[in-house]
Amino acid sequence: MAPLIPSSQPWVEKYRPKQVKDVAHQDEVVRVLTNTLETANCPHMLFYGPPGTGKTTTALAIAHQLFGPELYKSRVLELNASDDRGINVVRTKIKDFAAVAVGSGSRQGGYPCPPYKIIILDEADSMTEDAQNALRRTMETYSKVTRFFFICNYISRIIEPLASRCAKFRFKPLSAEVMSSRILHICNEEGLNLDQEALSTLSSISEGDLCRAITYLQSSARLYGSSISSKELISVSGVIPQNAVEALFVACKTGDFDFANKEVNNVIAEGYPISQMLSGLFEVIISSDDLSDVQKARICKRLGREADKVSTL
Amino acid sequence: MGKRKAVIVLSSSEDDEVRDRSAGGHQRPSKSRSNPLSTSRKRIGKRSKETSCVGSVSRPSPKLEAAKFATLSEDFSDCLEDLHLARGNQYWKELWIDKYKPSSVAQLAVHKKKVEEIKCWLEDRLTKSKGRSGNVLLLTGHAGIGKSATVRAIASQLGAQLCEWTTPTPTLWQEHVHISNLGLRYVSKLDEFESFVEKVGKYSLLFPNNFGLSKVPIIILIDDLPGTNGRAAFVKLKKCLMTLAHSSQLPTIISITEFSEIDLGKGSTSRYEELISILERAGAQKVAFNPLTVSSIKKVLSNICQEEKCDVTLELIDQIAKTCGGDIRNAVASFQYCCVRPDDFLLSASSTQMTTNTRLDFTKSRSSLLTGQNGHEPLSFFLVGRDETLTLFHALGKFLHNKREIPNALDLDLGSESLVLCKKFVRKPLKMDVPERVLSQAYGQARPVVDFLHENVLDFVSDGAINDAWMVSSYLSDADCLLALSLHIIFPSLTDMHESKSISQLVAASVAVRGVLFGNVQPMSSRWHTIRSPKLWQIEHLAHQHKNELMGAKCDTYGIGVSMSEIVTEYLPSVKWISSGITDGLGDGKYEHYPIRVNSSSEHGFVVYDSKESMSNEESDDDEIEDW
Amino acid sequence: MLWVDKYRPRTLDKMFVHEEIAQNLKKLVAEQDCPHLLFYGPPGAGKKTLIMALLREMFGPAAEKVKLEQKTWKIDAGTRTIELELAMLASTHHVELNPSDAGFQDRYIVQEIIKEMAKNRPIDSKGKKGFKVLVLNEVDKLSKEAQHSLRRTMEKYSASCRLVLCCNSSSRVTEAVRSRCLNVRLNAPTVEQIIEVLELIGKKESLQLPPGFAARIAAQSNRSMRRAILSFETCRVQQYPFTVNQAVPAMDWEQYVSEIASDIMKEQSPKRLFQVRGKVYELLANCIPPEVILKKLLLELLKKLDSELKHEICHWAAYYEHRMRLGQKSIFHIEAFVAKFMSIYKAFLIETFG
Repeated sequence: MAPLIPSSQPWVEKYRPKQVKDVAHQDEVVRVLTNTLETANCPHMLFYGPPGTGKTTTALAIAHQLFGPELYKSRVLELNASDDRGINVVRTKIKDFAAVAVGSGSRQGGYPCPPYKIIILDEADSMTEDAQNALRRTMETYSKVTRFFFICNYISRIIEPLASRCAKFRFKPLSAEVMSSRILHICNEEGLNLDQEALSTLSSISEGDLCRAITYLQSSARLYGSSISSKELISVSGVIPQNAVEALFVACKTGDFDFANKEVNNVIAEGYPISQMLSGLFEVIISSDDLSDVQKARICKRLGREADKVSTL
Repeated sequence: MGKRKAVIVLSSSEDDEVRDRSAGGHQRPSKSRSNPLSTSRKRIGKRSKETSCVGSVSRPSPKLEAAKFATLSEDFSDCLEDLHLARGNQYWKELWIDKYKPSSVAQLAVHKKKVEEIKCWLEDRLTKSKGRSGNVLLLTGHAGIGKSATVRAIASQLGAQLCEWTTPTPTLWQEHVHISNLGLRYVSKLDEFESFVEKVGKYSLLFPNNFGLSKVPIIILIDDLPGTNGRAAFVKLKKCLMTLAHSSQLPTIISITEFSEIDLGKGSTSRYEELISILERAGAQKVAFNPLTVSSIKKVLSNICQEEKCDVTLELIDQIAKTCGGDIRNAVASFQYCCVRPDDFLLSASSTQMTTNTRLDFTKSRSSLLTGQNGHEPLSFFLVGRDETLTLFHALGKFLHNKREIPNALDLDLGSESLVLCKKFVRKPLKMDVPERVLSQAYGQARPVVDFLHENVLDFVSDGAINDAWMVSSYLSDADCLLALSLHIIFPSLTDMHESKSISQLVAASVAVRGVLFGNVQPMSSRWHTIRSPKLWQIEHLAHQHKNELMGAKCDTYGIGVSMSEIVTEYLPSVKWISSGITDGLGDGKYEHYPIRVNSSSEHGFVVYDSKESMSNEESDDDEIEDW
Repeated sequence: MLWVDKYRPRTLDKMFVHEEIAQNLKKLVAEQDCPHLLFYGPPGAGKKTLIMALLREMFGPAAEKVKLEQKTWKIDAGTRTIELELAMLASTHHVELNPSDAGFQDRYIVQEIIKEMAKNRPIDSKGKKGFKVLVLNEVDKLSKEAQHSLRRTMEKYSASCRLVLCCNSSSRVTEAVRSRCLNVRLNAPTVEQIIEVLELIGKKESLQLPPGFAARIAAQSNRSMRRAILSFETCRVQQYPFTVNQAVPAMDWEQYVSEIASDIMKEQSPKRLFQVRGKVYELLANCIPPEVILKKLLLELLKKLDSELKHEICHWAAYYEHRMRLGQKSIFHIEAFVAKFMSIYKAFLIETFG
């Protein structure tokens, strides 16, 4: 890729913090982990929290800081959801990797290089329960020579036997300020021009997900060049403009079927993604003043059901 | 051996023997002992009384061992004899099936209408002058429902001589070698049959010479068509039958036993259908025998019971009648078998009855029947009884007709006490077994069952009841979703997959069947309905064909990016318009064009499926279906 | 050649609608910084046109020299080998195909094709444009597994090829795929834009358009450019010179559906339900997609319905449409919807008229 289009390295990778201490906003986690790094003795770990809060970054940073670039390849196995992680992979790939013994824990090139390997399982909550169960056995068998880092959004989707073997770290959603500062940093680096309005739009459409915010920023920078307005950000993100959602909401409130129908047809013709429209409506309904709580509850129940239908497809 | 020894020790007196016997009777459910053994026990008891020293000796000397061995071997031969003994030392000289073969029309258990029908036909043929065509009568039906017996009885009543063709005993291989060594040519059964048919054609010419003035009318009965293997043989058989049907001068009765699909696979049923249709086309009249009703079998059995003076309870007779599946031969045979030890059978019968009633999971039922043989269950009565299979169409008929008990005031009271249901959910009790069981007996696979129900159910919903129609179709839609689900679940292992697949299919079938039963609140009053084979299958086939055609054409004309639905819904209609050039007036003319094209193609589909459709015809004569 | 194809804009500069997006795409190509792209929008919005123009912009006229290949893929799927036949449109620089045509084996196709494309990518003398573009249509119809494997291969081979994905509804494309693409939403052209285009075509074909005629076609087109142009051409064939109040012919299947609708309105009984089933069968046999039938049927029924029933009917239509997607055999669900409608409507009639 590099020789072809040098500029298109994802910014997410480009600006990923390389050190644990650089991870934004997760002070407690960083404090504990820094200790770990100093002693080079770490347990199995489970990072959970909303997307884009630095879980993957942290895991990778630890691995890098422990082994350094030379040993990294042989000591760390990264598996994310895009890799095939059925029960067979757990049985073969992970086992094979874990089974190979490692040398003694001598320091090399300024890195601690502890005598174990690290297996990073990104998006672990998308693993099947069977695969997780199989993993449990592997963890026990090779616990002397391997450490597992699980990364997931929902801790409830990790089976209890796995979770209980790990030190759990919860990652908080990023606050708007932290995000803005990071974004501005990138803007400076890339020579982008972002006004205040665009900045706040960006942090609202990315919903605390820094990863997503950076992706949006890069996409709009590609499409629209160096000065980016909030409108352009919205069009890139595929988020439905607020007024479209409002219009539908108003139409629904009239109780007039034909009117609402027309509005719905309009939404379809505009090609707005339905799932986004539903979540947009949800926001509007929750924050609406002239609906009673019971009404809100009922509407949300219905919304939830429809959202389910969309997602099962 | 060890067990036997124990018995010898125990049974040292007459009293003990009785105790042992009764204990044996009760023990048997838990232990799996076969019948001869238990009778041998009794024998041993007797013998041990004669040689009373045996029991008390704890460490037998060699001499005693030898004596014991002698007694044992005697026992063994006694056992063998026992098999031929009825209770009370009465020898079975013949099988009851032969003994109580109906000799007169009155004794027949067959439905009177059918008997009358055949009788009329025979009388008609015998009295009228010869030389007319259509001298062939075709009897069809399951095994053992009295086809031949009916003919024999009628023939004897009419005083006619019955001339039977039965398939000769098959030639053994050694025999075949022997014969060919002798220089004789092997004559296949089919060839023999062929020559017989030829003879029949000429028989009427020979006949006056043979019997002179006696003028005994002759009826030819072909009881068993020779088996055919391979297409060529089958064609030959067909030809034979054709000539027979055309040339026969004497009244000829052909009885064909209907076998269910599962026994022999699809090929043979279609052949069987084909034979029937050929004969029918050749002018043969067809009388289809339905399985006998439970009540008539019961009547026959109790008659036999009186004759034989066996003390069997009504319950047992009831059991046998119910389980034989309308096969009277089987019923009598098992009845005779049961009379060896009626008490045992009653016990096991009632216990199996219990288990089957509580058993809902109907796939398991078959396996548990098998395990009953060597497992904890007693010698299962179902092993004796005929395997209860219904044809799929029978089962469908039951579901669609939706027969329910007439409510009884008392029952309703009871019902309201035990479980209170909203009035609109209350249904009268079903006049059939648990639907799932009926389905299992029919070997119904979920998908075809659902499809068949969908195709036919609307015929059975009464006219105004659109709400019922909705309820039914909604349940069918549920069932469809469940079926689709069974395809999509991804299973970790293969065994899991089979299990949960079959379970979700069972559930789907159950939902469909029960939905049909429940939703159809006011079923149409019973009348004769044909069960159609699902048109959906043709439509799917057609759509598939059509799609393939389009796929071929699509890439050439429209490029790949255009989706199927765009082509069909937008391009095609427009292109049709545009390419047809200038037309007169508005679109009506071309609009007509559209459905017609569909119709013609679907008619084509019908031709293909025609044979299937005739197969799916099902008579649902009221009285016969509801009883058994 | 149909007018739809004849007047399709060939380059990004000539786009009638979505000019802004076209310009942005042009910029992307010019900077040689082209990410994976995902185009989504309702049918007839111009996705296809835009993609073709984009390819031309990237590779010049060579992109238009395409040939159709019916290629058989041999795929080693663990224990067995699967053979799949799939048509693809290929030039030296790009391959276009419709992976959902492969049915439930779509995931193998996606993997296999991208792998192969990565293997034999063209090498220019200048070392430029050393990547291929793979255009995948109807990605929203791909199974979950296929989308998953798409994502994986996207990452693995991103150096050697660019993906251009095209779909109607981006909700049905997994987040993972979406987040790796530059999402481009194409809205349906507005009625005014359609009128403009129709008038332009009319001028080029030197036709006399009566006032308001183009507007009427546009109004019936449901904001689909393709539909509008097709019906325009149909009108031309049907009758020319145009008269002021010439009827715009509906598609034949649509007329058939509206006939079904009026059947349903006339009588509500199991017998009628059975007849309706027969008619729906005819549509299905002609490969009209069941969801399209259901949607059109709903629209026709809504037209004739009292407004107080409308939302209930709509609810049930949605309910059974969802069922239809879950289930296997669409007729079961369409029929259940019709039965429900009949049931509701009959109750309504009895209530109002006794």
